Amino acid sequence: MQFFQYGNEGYKSILDPRTKLLLLVVINVVIIGTGFTGTDFLLRIVCAAIPLVLFVIIRRYRTALLYGLVCLVMFFGEAVLIPCTTGTINLLIVITLGPFSRILVGYAFAYYMMCSTTVSEFVTALKQMRVPDQISIPLSVMFRFFPTLAEESHAIRDAMRLRGIRLTGKNGGLLKQIEYEVVPLMMSTLRIGDELSAASLTKGLNPGKPRTHICRVKMELWDWALVALSLGFLIYMLVLR
Amino acid sequence: MDKKLNAKDLINIGIFTALYFAIVFIVAFVGYIPIMMVIMPALCALIGGIPFMLFLTRARKFGMVTIMGTLLGLLTFLLGRPWLSILFGVVAGLVADLYLKGSDYLSIKKAPLSCGIFSLWIVGMALPMFFGFRDAYFESLRPGYGDAYVDALSKLTPSWMFWVLIVTIFLGGLLGGFLGAKILKKHFVKAGMA
Repeated sequence: MQFFQYGNEGYKSILDPRTKLLLLVVINVVIIGTGFTGTDFLLRIVCAAIPLVLFVIIRRYRTALLYGLVCLVMFFGEAVLIPCTTGTINLLIVITLGPFSRILVGYAFAYYMMCSTTVSEFVTALKQMRVPDQISIPLSVMFRFFPTLAEESHAIRDAMRLRGIRLTGKNGGLLKQIEYEVVPLMMSTLRIGDELSAASLTKGLNPGKPRTHICRVKMELWDWALVALSLGFLIYMLVLR
Repeated sequence: MDKKLNAKDLINIGIFTALYFAIVFIVAFVGYIPIMMVIMPALCALIGGIPFMLFLTRARKFGMVTIMGTLLGLLTFLLGRPWLSILFGVVAGLVADLYLKGSDYLSIKKAPLSCGIFSLWIVGMALPMFFGFRDAYFESLRPGYGDAYVDALSKLTPSWMFWVLIVTIFLGGLLGGFLGAKILKKHFVKAGMA
């Protein structure tokens, strides 16, 4: 897994973490708040295209392809299927497409953010934004931890399948299922937490004390262009509409 | 005992917030069916109570629960909710924290109630459907989700629903706290982890 690693592997993240944070907010505001006609729809397409381009830039071609395909289906559904159906079929399409069209783009961008930002860069950027350590350390640990959680729960689910624990059957039941899945997850969370604290203690992490780092975090031309773009979006969303 | 938060505490906050959010997030997917929208927040609070109770066994200092609430509010904001949702996170965390401080974070009896209080941060997630945001939110849904969906949703959520939501979320969190305490006793105390 290549999420949020401590070292840059081969590629250089071209965006500043601060730009990424701003873009994340703006993309979500636009995607959640806009409709599917006229300028609104154009805005949606632009927002959806941003993660696509970024995926290509960090050489995640497979993710980009998959994301692009899902987006195409989604936009086709929004622009063509929903307006021309009514009643139950419409509701059905809406319920299946709804979650995707509302959150897919934002989460794709969040995913990009996690793949392309190292913890060191993220913490440095937060520091430059004058975010106190009490917020920035848990925040970066949190982002770092989501992929680990996914990995762990995958392993747990595999183990459950191996022992034949399913929703139905002898060992079935929804509540039981939840217990079997959540409890081991919490166990490993505790263990990983202890290990992570030991590791960071060794590295000399201490809240309130200055930290040393070698990564460079700087706003470049691209960043300013995207900041201007997202400010434009925000003005459109909040004032013009 | 040192009252200041050290690196270990901060890391614990980080991983437990991630765990809590991931679990709540998965439960929240249920809410896309209109009728479920009403009980979804309570369901989130109920299931979220389990990791939260475990977090409380690691939270022994003032501020940890507050920071967790702040982070959750921040996350909801990053995912496109109104900025007011941050406030909900901070306040819910702070009140729960103050309540726990009364017993020096040691009383297991007080924990479920604080879990209920803490769960109120979820109100921030449901905020767009109420008050000033309401009309704009439904209008923005209309072209995409279709009239049938929006009408169903707005019929289910009259403005008094907001207060009902608060009560159900609180009760859900309370129940979740008891459920969490039971699970802790069954699995973690025996193993010496809590």
